[in-house]
Amino acid sequence: MVTVTSFLDTFTQEILHFTHPLSLPVLTTLDIDLGKGDSPPCLTSILRSISSAPALGSITLGNNGRFNIGHSFQDLWGDMDRWLARVAEHTKAQGRLSVILKRWPNGESVSEGFLRDFRRAGGQVKTEVCSW
Amino acid sequence: MDSLPQELIDTIIDGLPLSTLLSSSLAAKRWRRRSQQRAFGSIKFLSEAQVNRWCTDVPQDPEGIISYIHVVRFQDIFFWDDPATFGRALENLSSLTKLWMVGVAIPNGLPGQLSRGQVGESITILCLWYPCSTLATMASLVISLPNLEVLSVVGAGIESEEPLSPHPVTSQRAPLRFLDLRGNIGGIGKALAESRFVSHHLSLDIQIPGVEQLIAISSETAVNLALYGVLILRFFMERE
Repeated sequence: MVTVTSFLDTFTQEILHFTHPLSLPVLTTLDIDLGKGDSPPCLTSILRSISSAPALGSITLGNNGRFNIGHSFQDLWGDMDRWLARVAEHTKAQGRLSVILKRWPNGESVSEGFLRDFRRAGGQVKTEVCSW
Repeated sequence: MDSLPQELIDTIIDGLPLSTLLSSSLAAKRWRRRSQQRAFGSIKFLSEAQVNRWCTDVPQDPEGIISYIHVVRFQDIFFWDDPATFGRALENLSSLTKLWMVGVAIPNGLPGQLSRGQVGESITILCLWYPCSTLATMASLVISLPNLEVLSVVGAGIESEEPLSPHPVTSQRAPLRFLDLRGNIGGIGKALAESRFVSHHLSLDIQIPGVEQLIAISSETAVNLALYGVLILRFFMERE
């Protein structure tokens, strides 16, 4: 944690600052591809700035390398899980809201506990297998 | 041959490889137009000398070859001996829909040249990749194209200068179909946000200054939103 915090000072200029929560009434797809490294905090930060997205049908998540949930960010994935569950409950899109994990390691399955609240709310977790 | 319907001839020509279109244009009079339309549909300039030859050698008849050109790509022209050459090459291309520049110097006078002619109105797709230009010229260029539908700016080290007075978008301008901003593009994102360019599809590098404003002003129109290159660790700081 200390290491990450000291790393922060270099990158504070890259933080998103929304003056108001975002309402995205016609948004159907959201694709977020992270930079290098383990950075789910930024993901949570972006998602939490969205207050409403009733038409959302899919959210695609990835990072530059192979997708890595990362053990050190369990509480943050929990935050995202709660946000996703809320969106899944309020979506008007046909079918269920999907979260797609890009470049997922071939042959590995997603743990059943991952995004548990989201799945309970009717959301689906899918993977796109990394071919390299 | 004479009994073949023109539609069938056109279909045959549409299936020919590009390398054979010169020959097919000489095969018969009825083959010429379609062959030339395909051969000249998309052209590329790799030097100022090529542009000059085009301007002097190709007849600038608005009904002729130049009317077949829909896509023009300029590449690796880092400076112009005569900056007016760029605009001269474009001025009679009444069918041009896509202007694509890769590593090209954009003369300060180009936006004015485009906005005075018809070509500015016909361009719907503008790609500025690794442009050599000032921010003011790039912003003016974008603004000079009233019917723009797709804008892609990709770059590294675009010269930034402050302040840049906003160019309000006219109320007639429809939302873009696609806005793609990636890399170090200086203040162009901010300039577009201040000019209130909105889009249905957005593909944005999250490190671009003004990205929040771009997303916020497109909140009512955004159907697809793609964000790349995220390196935000603020959440950790807030939690400390």
